[in-house]
Amino acid sequence: MSPLVGIVANPVSASDIRRVVANASTLQVTDRANIILRVLSALRACGVENVLMMPEKSGIRRHITRAYERAANLKEDIFPQIHHVRQDITTTVQDTFKATAAMKEAGCKIIIVLGGDGTHRAVVSQCGDIPIAGISTGTNNAFPEHREPTITGLAVGLAAMGRVPDAIAFEGNKRLDIKIGDRAEDIAIVDVAVVTERFVGAKAIWKPENFRELFVTFSDPEVIGMSAIAGLLEPVSRRDPHGLMVALSPPHEAKLRLNVPFAPGIIGAIGIGEVKHMMPGVPVKLDFPAGTIALDGERELAFDQTDDVTITLVKDAFRTVNVSAIMNYASKQGLMKLN
Amino acid sequence: MSNNPFPLPKEKLLEAYTKMKTIREFEERLHIEFAKGDIPGFVHLYAGEEASGTGIMMHLEDKDRIASTHRGHGHCIAKGVEVEGMMAEIYGKVTGSCRGKGGSMHIADLSKGMMGANGILGAGAPLICGAALASKYRGDGGVGITFFGDGASNQGTVLESMNLAAVWNLPVIFVVENNGYAESTSIDYAVAVDSYIDRAAGFGIPGVTVDGTDFFAVYEAAGEIIKRAREGGGPAFLECKMVRFFGHFEGDAQTYRAPGENEDNRANKDCLKIFRSKVTKAGVISDAELKKIDDAVLARIEASVQKAKADPLPTAKDLLTDVYVSY
Repeated sequence: MSPLVGIVANPVSASDIRRVVANASTLQVTDRANIILRVLSALRACGVENVLMMPEKSGIRRHITRAYERAANLKEDIFPQIHHVRQDITTTVQDTFKATAAMKEAGCKIIIVLGGDGTHRAVVSQCGDIPIAGISTGTNNAFPEHREPTITGLAVGLAAMGRVPDAIAFEGNKRLDIKIGDRAEDIAIVDVAVVTERFVGAKAIWKPENFRELFVTFSDPEVIGMSAIAGLLEPVSRRDPHGLMVALSPPHEAKLRLNVPFAPGIIGAIGIGEVKHMMPGVPVKLDFPAGTIALDGERELAFDQTDDVTITLVKDAFRTVNVSAIMNYASKQGLMKLN
Repeated sequence: MSNNPFPLPKEKLLEAYTKMKTIREFEERLHIEFAKGDIPGFVHLYAGEEASGTGIMMHLEDKDRIASTHRGHGHCIAKGVEVEGMMAEIYGKVTGSCRGKGGSMHIADLSKGMMGANGILGAGAPLICGAALASKYRGDGGVGITFFGDGASNQGTVLESMNLAAVWNLPVIFVVENNGYAESTSIDYAVAVDSYIDRAAGFGIPGVTVDGTDFFAVYEAAGEIIKRAREGGGPAFLECKMVRFFGHFEGDAQTYRAPGENEDNRANKDCLKIFRSKVTKAGVISDAELKKIDDAVLARIEASVQKAKADPLPTAKDLLTDVYVSY
């Protein structure tokens, strides 16, 4: 029986204030739909017959429906059958939570995610052991790797069809768990930033003068956003067992000042204090009186002096599809050879 | 450290709450009064959407101009138009903001920068481009805000205005108040380019979506956008996702809504409840302080209704006054 693959596509990622304060891109709904169509044809080429998608009412579904009609008219049999999760559409992150849970329940082998770091985080919070494959359609995208989605679709298709050993196809990832008191509040998959703003408001963070603490699961000098700060100090790979903690301050208060790409097109200075490794399983108590905790680039949790906030790095917390390893394996094993 | 975590001082938070509460009670009362049959014409109520108009208008001065919609009461109040004159206007009385000749859909007060509610869908956008051009020409730092709904966003006037604003780099903010319905038609039926942000991007205008039920989300995003426009950064587009508590117009049976939708909106998406919860939990404003505002607002609305009912109608000799302007 053909495996079931899930697709969660956030139709509204990349529409926050950074369109205005920076020159961040807007990925149009038609482009999102075209990405999904490319992924779908890649999945079908590998033998995947059924796909379960998150429903939305921002236009992706209708663009895809029209494309399927055109393909049928042209007698092109290039797409798998699409099913949509049956759920009310709220146009909030709740849609992602519910759809991911339903995909898990339905037995999806892999879930493909279109969105930024925030969307991936939302899926990870619900997907359990199901591997995810990320496609970047957000603003600051440290987590999903940048590549042509057709290739991601092929890798997912090969892995879902069982043509690549799990040990090669999938890999474990680190996660940051945030607790306030004994209460598990939330998670982050790339970074936790403590900022001085004490309200959630428009969510995005773009004012480096307000950044105070940073915790990252990995750091990469080739990305933008909070992970870039750590990446420009000490790159930490997704596979390294540790994460990184960086104390931040306004530039004039620090001995070391760093020029950082905080957001698309915004390069500015930030003051750097102590840089320390963060070891898995060791809770770190937040030493800052009041502010907001931003998870993967979005303010989510306001806290004050009465809150006992701890952050813990968890290793092997969730699985991702290793596209690079799969495609190299496919090359070596001749998986794409037709004769 | 101050115990106020919000980006406004306490007196401004109280002002914002007073505006939102005034809009809410104004509309709730009109919902009752309209059913009695004393109010001429139609009314379209803004209840549920208060955080959008107020979150934006808290950044504006009288020199900044707005163009509103058929659902304009909330924009008027948030921009500072007097409630008493508005109520009289809606009752068609000579003491109204427009001397009883405009009614609900044509309330204007140029002294407050309120260029008018507008019964023509999408008509505010070109007006505000003109106002913004005037501000740019004068160099007075004024901005223009045009509000429209998801239905009016399909009008050619809105699209042409976006083009003009982009080409002339005008200080205009296009605000789509997306309550999910164009009259009774769901957007997924009637809007070909489903994302408003995509439309703005087509004209090279940056677009931002915010949770329009959260005053603080609107306030923060609008603040950045308005500041940018004032300083010459050009037009921007803001989508506030929200809910409306009543029908498209008073008398609308709302058969297009899902079962329980109105109840869910009132219970979970009420921007006033959300605001109250945030400021009281943070210990910045007490329930008693809010209750005092609530009582004062209710008294003011009651007085405005009684006065409007008692005030005289225009007479036949008023028919041709205030209609044309002599230049």
